[in-house]
Amino acid sequence: MTDWLSLLKTAKKSSIIDKNLKKVRYELNTGQELVEEYNMDTGVLTRRAWKCTGQFSNQEKWDIEIGEPEPNYDSKGDDVIRESSGQPTVSRRNTKTNLEWRIRNLPYPVNTYTVTADTDEHCLVVRTSNKKYFKKLPIPDLSRLNIMLEQANVSFTHKFNTLIIAYQKPKQLLDFERALYEEIKNIEPQNQDAIGSNFCN
Amino acid sequence: MAAAAAAKIAEVRETTRVERIGAHSHIRGLGLDDSLEARHVSQGMVGQVSARRAVGIVLQMVRDGRIAGRAVLLAGQPGTGKTAIATALAHALGQDTPFTSMAGSEIYSLEMSKTEALTQAIRKSIGVRIKEESEIIEGEVVDLSIERPATGVGTKVGKLILKTTDMETVYDLGGKMIDSILKEKVQSGDVITIDKATGKITRLGRSFARARDYDATGQQTRFVQCPEGELQKRKEVVHTVTLHEIDVINSRTHGFLALFSGDTGEIKPEVREQINGKVAEWREEGKAEIIPGVLFIDEVHMLDIECFSFLNRALENEMSPIVIMATNRGITKIRGTTYKSPHGIPLDLLDRTIIVPTQPYDEKELKEILNIRCEEEDCQMSDNALVVLTRICKETSLRYGMQLIMTSSLIARKRKAHEVDVEDIKRAYQLFFDEGRSVQFLKEYQQEFMFNEIDEKDDMEMETI
Repeated sequence: MTDWLSLLKTAKKSSIIDKNLKKVRYELNTGQELVEEYNMDTGVLTRRAWKCTGQFSNQEKWDIEIGEPEPNYDSKGDDVIRESSGQPTVSRRNTKTNLEWRIRNLPYPVNTYTVTADTDEHCLVVRTSNKKYFKKLPIPDLSRLNIMLEQANVSFTHKFNTLIIAYQKPKQLLDFERALYEEIKNIEPQNQDAIGSNFCN
Repeated sequence: MAAAAAAKIAEVRETTRVERIGAHSHIRGLGLDDSLEARHVSQGMVGQVSARRAVGIVLQMVRDGRIAGRAVLLAGQPGTGKTAIATALAHALGQDTPFTSMAGSEIYSLEMSKTEALTQAIRKSIGVRIKEESEIIEGEVVDLSIERPATGVGTKVGKLILKTTDMETVYDLGGKMIDSILKEKVQSGDVITIDKATGKITRLGRSFARARDYDATGQQTRFVQCPEGELQKRKEVVHTVTLHEIDVINSRTHGFLALFSGDTGEIKPEVREQINGKVAEWREEGKAEIIPGVLFIDEVHMLDIECFSFLNRALENEMSPIVIMATNRGITKIRGTTYKSPHGIPLDLLDRTIIVPTQPYDEKELKEILNIRCEEEDCQMSDNALVVLTRICKETSLRYGMQLIMTSSLIARKRKAHEVDVEDIKRAYQLFFDEGRSVQFLKEYQQEFMFNEIDEKDDMEMETI
């Protein structure tokens, strides 16, 4: 159907089942490594992460695209700079019909925010009228399939210091996800004990 | 209001450290013109015209970057400007070319072998210029607060608030970051960029919004717009890292933090081999460029025969830097042997080096140098005093003469004079002995010192044991 789907189809895949989660690991032809985690009860993707290696070092890191970010246990990085813990953080979570972003630690009332779809840069732009927060949210799911953004699909609510932005999944994306899910169901899961978790925990 | 302003000034004073004046801090470059001819007095350098010209040609060689593994020896009596010439070369090469300066005795350590220390020094002197996408934080400093623990020990805590025209974020600062922020003298109103991975801070200028804060600003103050959009950006930056830095990052799990702490330990040869392979790969792909730099070894006669033969071998490598050595010894023993050799360097290594001699300064040059030092040390001196001081330098040594500048200036200040006069120089000369008078004094009063009963014969026996 699309380049992205065929790339995933040709990738070397392996998977394990952990309770109701099916974890799939792709080794793409481009040399990249991707891990997805599906809830088999609902068929929704709960986690997607890319493996990235640094240029100078062989240190491995996981770039979490969807799902809660890794808790940072080792605070060895305290010699440099990092955002204060009270600062807004973005995490992604998808539902059956929506792509969702949660921006936590945003205390301002709902009418301060504007979320616009930037079609040129292929991202959503969050602005605040008090000039305290600004963020460009790329949507890799859509840009991989070359789907244009539409402002009409964007909605957002604000609750418990959290701004929740939802983008309704367009039809092409739903079609793609259905096709990929069929593919994933067919992968024979390996016994978890034998292989051990490939996932980053 | 006035009290608040005074408090503010005190605060600024506290964060801005006073730059200290070193023996060679007046040197800003080699003082050559475009055709590499040495100007007599320029960029803090005086005299030594032929040596400077020779080093100018070495500079050209380094800049071309095509010749690897050459050795240059600066040879001359003490206090003839060998280290000054090396410092000048480092300035002339600029920020981007690696320049490693070490003393010969630095390689002796219990934690690493001599050859490991030399290898690290050599690899510190080779840069790799590489394009990399890195995460940077760019914004205007809104507020900077640094708290020291009341006891004076322990880690400092810092908070930095940065903003762009669209957003504002609070950052927590770690100890090293606080140090580099203090070093860069970052104040609120500055527009800065911070490389997130390495913690390197660059000041872009002051924000236009703060242009009216002070009536008087330095000439170099640049005003820039407050950045737009997100604070954290991904930018393709070109930076120069040394091979040693890449080695360290790859040698242990907690990567670049070892660079900060400095305890790198020994690095396995396999790691180095791997890095060499990777760098060669980048170079072929056009991603990286090798910049051979300069390794300067002061007091090179302190190296022993093993180091010299290692250097011999290391210079053959096409990745090796230009090695500049300096020594003030004549024909002397090579360390670790009983053989004598010129400059304490084995003949086979001497054969590979080009030797640049430095001559003692004449009286006119001495006066010029003293003049520059007076300016550097912020000291007014009358013409007569300068003449007297020059004569003292001529009789004793330049280093002793330079010590007298600050001391006599303090003596002059005590009698509330603006200028140092002959009297102050005389007083300082009487108060502080130079090496010659000290020796004479010792000879005269030898009997009254401790342990003088050990006579010459015992001394000889001690040495043979």
